[in-house]
Amino acid sequence: MTDQEHLERAYRRLLACYPRAFREENGPEILAVLMACARDGQRRPGPAQAADLIRGGLRMRLFPSVPRSAPTVRAAVRLMYAGAAVSTANLIVLLAVIADIKAYHAVLGHRLTTAQVSQLNTAAITVEIVYTLVPIALWLWMARKNGQGRNWARGLSTALFGLATLTLSSVFPQPVFNISFVPTVRLSFVPALAPAVLVLTWLAGAAAVWLLWRPASTAFFKPEGLAPVPPARPRSPGWPQPGQPPRSLL
Amino acid sequence: MRAMQEATFLILTALADGSQHGYGIITDVRDISGGRVRLRPGTLYTALDRLRADELIGVDREEVVDGRLRRYYRLTPAGTRRLADEAARLQAHAAAALTRLNLAGGTAT
Repeated sequence: MTDQEHLERAYRRLLACYPRAFREENGPEILAVLMACARDGQRRPGPAQAADLIRGGLRMRLFPSVPRSAPTVRAAVRLMYAGAAVSTANLIVLLAVIADIKAYHAVLGHRLTTAQVSQLNTAAITVEIVYTLVPIALWLWMARKNGQGRNWARGLSTALFGLATLTLSSVFPQPVFNISFVPTVRLSFVPALAPAVLVLTWLAGAAAVWLLWRPASTAFFKPEGLAPVPPARPRSPGWPQPGQPPRSLL
Repeated sequence: MRAMQEATFLILTALADGSQHGYGIITDVRDISGGRVRLRPGTLYTALDRLRADELIGVDREEVVDGRLRRYYRLTPAGTRRLADEAARLQAHAAAALTRLNLAGGTAT
């Protein structure tokens, strides 16, 4: 394998960081630019170049480009990231005090009896962490898919918000999470959040759902009943294979 | 309207007098900035993707050179307006800074 082929293969691997749709459209072109930027005899990507590709790919996966022409959707997507950030903060609190689960409950503002504390085993803690991870994943997933203009994501976000609302209303009249470590009772997507955090994330969800159903957003989700990919972006031919004659662009 | 990032401003400037392909933009931005701003391909294509989504730039044409794809980008009318606005804003700020420095007997020439 020549130096050039070696380098090209390494770059292709790095380009896997980007979302597939973006890679299929722009991969060959980015590869051409990367190869043009390479020094003679270079066999592997420089660390800065590699870091830049990884960062660019992750950023694109996490934050899809919502057009400026759809400000309501942009705002809704930002709120969803804010929701993910709050949920992440909750996870950090949980992890920070995991060794002393009683301290965690003190943070949440409620007390456990000795009997309840003795029930806390590794499995229960694992369940707790999973329940904290699920909303983070859901926020990020919904932010991404709504940002891409998927109409089903709009429906699903609304349904999830409804579910969160039900949970919130069922949780609040009672002393919060007295029985929170009995996993079977935790049928919701809302983890062991302190009430203030619950209300904050609920408000972010409410605002996001409201924004998603504004008329301006509907235009973004349903441009002429087709997939909301901006129209003036022609597909490129696939990856040119080394030694293969270039395919026609027509 | 929010201030534009420097890289975005330079990319749009590189496209202001005609379409260019990715590598052309990188070398042009380096020249415009006097060698100070060296765009990496990952940064460039993240920015191009965003600019296309915002319809500030579009694809002009595609060519295959030595078996490799070259896509040429150009400013859209909206992109031209946005760049002109941003340039005017920067110019106003720079003029204010230079005027005050001169009044204060500063080193600005």
